[in-house]
Amino acid sequence: MTARPGREAIIYLGPALVLALLVVLAPLAFVLYTSLFANGSFSLEAYQSLWESALFRRSLATTFEISAMGAALSLLLGYPVALHLSRLNPRARAFCMILVLVPFWTSILVKSYAFTVLLGKQGIVNASLSVIFGTEIQIPMLLNRVGVMVGMTNYLIPFVVFPVLASLLAIDRSVYRAVEIMGAKPPTVFWKVTLPLSMPGVASALISTFVMSTGFFVIPALLGGRKDVMLANLVDFYTRETLDWNMAAAIGVILLAIVTLIAGTAMQIQKMRGHARGV
Amino acid sequence: MSNKLISLPGRRKVLSALGSAASIAVAAPFVITPRRAFAAGKMVLVSYGGTYRTSVETALVKPFQQEFGVEVTVIDTPDLAKVKAQQMTGNIEWDVFDAVGAPGAQGSKAGYWEPLDPDMFDAKDIVGGLKKDLVPFYMFAGGIGWDPAKFGAGKAPRNFAEYWDVKKFPGLRTLRNRPSETLEAALLADGVAPNKLYPLDVDRAFKALERIKPHVGQWVTETPQAITLLERGEVSYSYVYASRVRTQTGGKYAFSFDQTLLGTEYLAVVKGAPNKANAMKFVQFAMRPDRQAALMTLLGNIPTSRKALPLVGEDARKWMGNIDNPNNAFLNDEFWADKFDVVGRRFKEWVLA
Repeated sequence: MTARPGREAIIYLGPALVLALLVVLAPLAFVLYTSLFANGSFSLEAYQSLWESALFRRSLATTFEISAMGAALSLLLGYPVALHLSRLNPRARAFCMILVLVPFWTSILVKSYAFTVLLGKQGIVNASLSVIFGTEIQIPMLLNRVGVMVGMTNYLIPFVVFPVLASLLAIDRSVYRAVEIMGAKPPTVFWKVTLPLSMPGVASALISTFVMSTGFFVIPALLGGRKDVMLANLVDFYTRETLDWNMAAAIGVILLAIVTLIAGTAMQIQKMRGHARGV
Repeated sequence: MSNKLISLPGRRKVLSALGSAASIAVAAPFVITPRRAFAAGKMVLVSYGGTYRTSVETALVKPFQQEFGVEVTVIDTPDLAKVKAQQMTGNIEWDVFDAVGAPGAQGSKAGYWEPLDPDMFDAKDIVGGLKKDLVPFYMFAGGIGWDPAKFGAGKAPRNFAEYWDVKKFPGLRTLRNRPSETLEAALLADGVAPNKLYPLDVDRAFKALERIKPHVGQWVTETPQAITLLERGEVSYSYVYASRVRTQTGGKYAFSFDQTLLGTEYLAVVKGAPNKANAMKFVQFAMRPDRQAALMTLLGNIPTSRKALPLVGEDARKWMGNIDNPNNAFLNDEFWADKFDVVGRRFKEWVLA
């Protein structure tokens, strides 16, 4: 990370940079333009009407609420997986990493229907619980926030496992040996050594899952309830249903700005901490 | 951190495989674009996927290719936003557009369609009448569906007033997550006469919706979900389409024809279509009574050619009901083309509240 890129880096990175400028920056500039120009003349009307729209404010709040919950839950579920993977031998680890990736290879649409079968009122989970406890059990897990969280964590966990695993594997084995010699018990080792030293992975996992979540669309629509409307659903409404691209673009710009601000700040803090520790 | 990741043995292969797989998955929609059909003897039809597509290919596309020697490329999902993009950039890729009522009228208002020559059609034969740039392709019936194994005779609501009657028919229901159809259903439930619906009394409709809101299990966005929710027992009754009940459940589920909302599906030729002459020929072909009958026998929707109705297969005709039933209401697409924006926003806000 601290290595200064050489001049030849330009040669290697140049083509990718040009491509990135073309496929990312140009459309982004067009989105910004669309949000500011309605019918050919400059106007901030879209931003103003979003500011006044209760629908937008509520979806914005829901988006951040769901994204934060999704990122935190994925971390809680993904961290132990990464920890386990880090203790395996390389061959077993490679196999298990493929297992982590499997859900990733299934279409989110298909998975959402599969979750209906699992989590529904008469789904496999509720039916099994009913048999075990000998009484009719119908825990509502679908078409509400629980359903959204199940769908999101299923999608996001690989994005937690890989960066955290990289951090865990980067920890010098001799540190463990040293603390064990000093008589530290496993919980102490975890809290004093493993967790602090894996923080870069944790931070990048949290940032990337949070940022990804803010753009979720299918999961809240299929597994969520009526209140689980995220900004992406609102963008779809303006893009495809009312064809008001001025508004759709403005929502996109606002979301991008907020996400950039949050992710940028988080990364800056991370960097400063790294410098403080002399990494 | 990332350079350390790569230096670790064993995982490099997995990670590079992951990287390339991801980049292919991300890039695919941009790289694989539909084959363009600029040459003479070709055209592009935008329609829906799944069994719908197979039906359209069997009853329209193949016979058309045989009769006129025009090669038709069928593309999934008529998305009006893409028509807008094609009109804005002047890069028109589509010829014929299979349009549901409201987007059809919306496109008409925005000037996205070529005007149609009335001489191409038998005006008297067309139910609902030819518009300047839209021809009614077929009609679809939306109404109440349920599983007859769970709710026998008299145990399920048969009209919208009963759909709203949660005392007599307890249990969760579905409604569409959009104002069109939903507001109409609410007003019918509230006692407005089917032929006096328009212009919709929006305030009254929202008041009626307020009563049913706690009993709506899901505001359906994706059409197939309306039936899957019934199958999984998430809801007791559902707002579904007759033709979907026939194809998606193999006709096992019940659908009430006592009261339905009748919507129109249109065909339109995209403005500036690269194969305009072939497109016009195709639209004319699709309205021929024999083709209408063949397609509707497969789809189970109601043909808009009067002459086609008696030619439709018997099983499909069972799923059409009687369009002259005075309890039915015809959806007014022009109303929604004007109001969808404002009422749609209010509806979304209301659903969230």
